[in-house]
Order: sequence, then structure tokens, then C-alpha cells
Amino acid sequence: MSTTPRASSAIPGEPAHFGSVLAHQPALAQAFAELYGRFWDSDVLSARLKEVARMRNARVTECGFCRNVRFDKAVAEGLGEEVVDDITDDYENSPRLTETEKAVLKFTDALIHDHELLTGDVKAALRRHLSPEQIAELGLGVTLFLALAKALITLGLEPERMERTILATPAVPEPAQ
Amino acid sequence: MSGPVAQALAGSADLAARYGTFRKAAHAALGPELVEAVRRAVAEVHGAAEEAAASDAPEAVLAYARRMVFEHTAITDDEAAAVVAELGEPGLVALSVVAALSDAECRAAAVGLPALARA
Repeated sequence: MSTTPRASSAIPGEPAHFGSVLAHQPALAQAFAELYGRFWDSDVLSARLKEVARMRNARVTECGFCRNVRFDKAVAEGLGEEVVDDITDDYENSPRLTETEKAVLKFTDALIHDHELLTGDVKAALRRHLSPEQIAELGLGVTLFLALAKALITLGLEPERMERTILATPAVPEPAQ
Repeated sequence: MSGPVAQALAGSADLAARYGTFRKAAHAALGPELVEAVRRAVAEVHGAAEEAAASDAPEAVLAYARRMVFEHTAITDDEAAAVVAELGEPGLVALSVVAALSDAECRAAAVGLPALARA
């Protein structure tokens, strides 16, 4: 996996990172920022459940950047490192993850890894714990987490080293003055 | 709106509209002919290929898109450079997003996301 950017920054004076490289396509970058901000702003599905799915995606896709970032809204909702540490291949046996979180993780694995993991029992558990609107939002989230992680990796934007970092949760950008 | 994610979001008008805008912007950045070629290449790897269609898309572009499905960590600097030689840096950015989004949408369709999100 390359840690050498395969495209330069499109923002003068800034190093190559996901935002500055995406800026080669301004309309795409703007549409993504508005979508991702609105997604995280919505409380239909809690930020904690979204972050649980994002952490699983980070591990499976091997996205080191994604894996080391935490969004503050999920942290404020009680997602601590002891819970994140349990999002391994053995998450089903975790005493810290809730049954809802395990249903979210099984759906996430089915979408990003193997759709055959979505058995009748897994579907039933998902529907028992989440409303149709929440499942739609989870589906959107996992789709975006997967696509963005893969785009980031293939663009060579993985950091060589990175400490765990709590970032402000993405928000809808303010309209330009 | 098309695609499994947009269909699943039918009950969430604002998110559906914003997802549609994002998808449209990604597709516009790459251009309709390459989007169609990339979409087919990705679907083929997933075993969900529609009827084969001739494409003038450069092989470096199609190879990059195919590897996005199961081998995204194995794409080399040389393979990315070959895409840049064909499309430029903005094209590599657009291709990376479109190929990754096409892959994710194939997977969302495979789990039956629209039906799961239906009341």
C-alpha cells in the first residue's frame, strides 16, 4: 500500500491530503462535503452506531487514516476505546458491544465483505433493532465509508504514521458569502 | 434516481437528494462514456455483468477500476501513473471515486439494500 500521494494537492500551500486532492474536482468535493455533513448531522441513526460501522470498515479495508480518526459526536455518545478495541473479527463475543451494535457490524461485514453473510437471522436481527429509515441511513454510511476508504488508499493518501486523533464531526459547509 | 442507495433513501428526501447530487458530480467529473465503461468493468468483477459492450476506454483505466473491487491495496504507483498519463490528476481523482462508488453500489445491491430499507 503506497503512502506516496499519486495526485498532488490542488490547494496552494497545502500538502496532499484527501481534501486537497479531492479539490482537483471542486464540484465533486463540494457535493461530497454537503452529503457527508448532512449524513453525520442526521440523528435518525446515532453517531455512535455510524462510528461503529465506520471503524469496522476501516479495519476490513485496511484504511489506517480512517482507523485512527474518531469523530467527536460519537465519542460524546460514549463510544470509548475499550468498545472500539472490540470491533475485531471476534466482535460477536464482545461483552461491551450491544446487540444493536452487533447487528450493525454484521450488516457492515455483509456489505463490504461478503453479501452471503446476510443470512435470514442477520436480516431479522437488523430489522428488530433498526427502523427502515435507520437501515437506509446505515446503508448510505457504509457505502460512503467503503468508497472513501478505497479512494483514499488508491490515491496514495495513507499516512506513514498517525496517532489516534479526535476530529470535529463533519458538518454541512456554510454557504459562501 | 437510480442505484440501490438512492432507492433505499426514498424515505429520506434530503439525504437522497444530496446523495444524487454527489453521484451526479462524480459521474460528470469522469464523463458519461468512461463512467459506463467503469461501471461495467466493476460489475463484471462482481459477477453481475450486463451484456458486454465495446468500449474505447483506455486499458489502464479499466484495469484500475477492476482492481478496486478486491485488490485496492495492491494497486501500484505505476498503475496509478498510467491512469494519470491518460486522464491527468483530476481524472485519476474522478476515476478513484467513481470506481470505488460503483463497487460499493454493487455491494449494496447484492445485500438487497432497497428491500431491507422498505417498511
